[in-house]
Amino acid sequence: MNTVVASITYRAMLGRKRVWLLALLPIALIAFALLFRFIGGGDESVAVELMKTFAIGTMLPLLGLIAGTGVIAPEIEDGTIIHLMSKPISRPVIAFTKYVVAASLMLGFSVIPTYVAAYILIGTESGIAAGFALGALFAGIAYAAVFFLLGVVSRHAVTIGVIYALVWEGLIGGYVPGARRFSIQQWAQSIADQVTTSAFLKSEVALSFAVPAMAIVVVGSVVWAGQRLRVLSLTGDE
Amino acid sequence: MSQPTGVIHDIGYRHYDGPRLGRGAGAVALWVYSLRGTFGLGRTFKSKIMPFLLFGAMMLPTVVSIAIMALLKQEPMSYTDYAVFMQPIIAIFLAAQSPVLVAPDLRHKVIPLYLSRPVTIVDYIGAKLAAMIAALLILLVVPLTVQFVGEMLIDLPMPLHTHEYLAALGGSVLNAVLLASIGLALASFTPRRGLGVASVIAFYMFTLAASAVLTGVLESEGHRDAASWSILLNPFFLVNAVQANLFGTQPTEGLPFPSGAGPALILLAVVALALTGLYARYRKALAA
Repeated sequence: MNTVVASITYRAMLGRKRVWLLALLPIALIAFALLFRFIGGGDESVAVELMKTFAIGTMLPLLGLIAGTGVIAPEIEDGTIIHLMSKPISRPVIAFTKYVVAASLMLGFSVIPTYVAAYILIGTESGIAAGFALGALFAGIAYAAVFFLLGVVSRHAVTIGVIYALVWEGLIGGYVPGARRFSIQQWAQSIADQVTTSAFLKSEVALSFAVPAMAIVVVGSVVWAGQRLRVLSLTGDE
Repeated sequence: MSQPTGVIHDIGYRHYDGPRLGRGAGAVALWVYSLRGTFGLGRTFKSKIMPFLLFGAMMLPTVVSIAIMALLKQEPMSYTDYAVFMQPIIAIFLAAQSPVLVAPDLRHKVIPLYLSRPVTIVDYIGAKLAAMIAALLILLVVPLTVQFVGEMLIDLPMPLHTHEYLAALGGSVLNAVLLASIGLALASFTPRRGLGVASVIAFYMFTLAASAVLTGVLESEGHRDAASWSILLNPFFLVNAVQANLFGTQPTEGLPFPSGAGPALILLAVVALALTGLYARYRKALAA
């Protein structure tokens, strides 16, 4: 960890208009929770549906994408990363610091709003709020790691990340049951399923697979990103 | 002491005396250049991968559908539902390629250089918009047309789906105009490509999830009317509804769209809003 690098990265992510990209989705989630509460839909199935489709299914991968790639990819894209890399700081440390920033953004912009929205809808009933918040926490950490690695490896990080989230997790995961094993979303749901007692949530992936897979993905991605940063070459854009 | 110190030498520069093509030709040249850019033509190999991969993905259902028609003599895939069915691919194409059109010029602050020519800012925006519309039309119309030609050649024991095909073409135009205006307006707000891609796809995924959740919950709570309107949040369903009302085709299975002119008015309003935003953005880019 390097506090200076961390503070610069926080400023880049939260400065001026940029913060809206992160803030709008959680605000929308809480607005939906309020709306459903208002029209009297505050029952368990509605809460699970909102959490599954919107919080875990849409907001989490999107914020992971924005936070994970956003902490490093823009700097690589416009070449200003060279100022950071020419300082006597180990590059794996730079990578780790930036990843920690991304993961902490996930905590603030996705885990807490997930809990708040579920709490607005049904309070602490059946442990839905706690379960989904915990699932969002672990999955957020994993999404941030994967997309952070993509941001270091490829210039088309965001597009590849979107293809993973929409086509692999959304389309292929819908038809091919085997693909769901390699979906961070499903891992989040199996963690949520452990905590909540709600009958409306059925997880597809066993916890004994999801947790080790998540650990491997996070550690592997961050270490690999650090190694990639050591040999990063800055070439012209297109 | 007061003798001249500088001399201008004639080093043989010559004036251009040939014909000048003027504003229209400039705008057309910009359109062609931008359209080629959306598919990575004239760029590096790396920037061709993504658009052609997505185009290939769009052709996949068509190929399968022709094979099914030829071997099993069954109905072809629905023409009118094609855009709704393939919406993730179209959205990814829009998100990935919109910033390609607008971001570099904004980042390198070269728009004043365009405007030092007869091209005006409206021409510039128009050319970029027309390029994105044309790119989306290629993406949508080519697979539909290939399937229709396939259906004609295979000679199925049922009437041709000519009306559905023509309605789908109309729907493709609506889709292309709507998506291109939204995509360019969102992408133009940041000079960085990565953030542009993220904001366009964030918009799509938000509308996708919001329309699904809202419709589901409103329906289960008994607000059927509100549910049928909230489904229009997703731009692909909005176009599908307008297409169904305009051409009298079947809407996508299981979707209770509101009838009448309402969806069409929403579509027009969204396009107008996006274009106003785009125009305002470029006015600001020039003032800065």
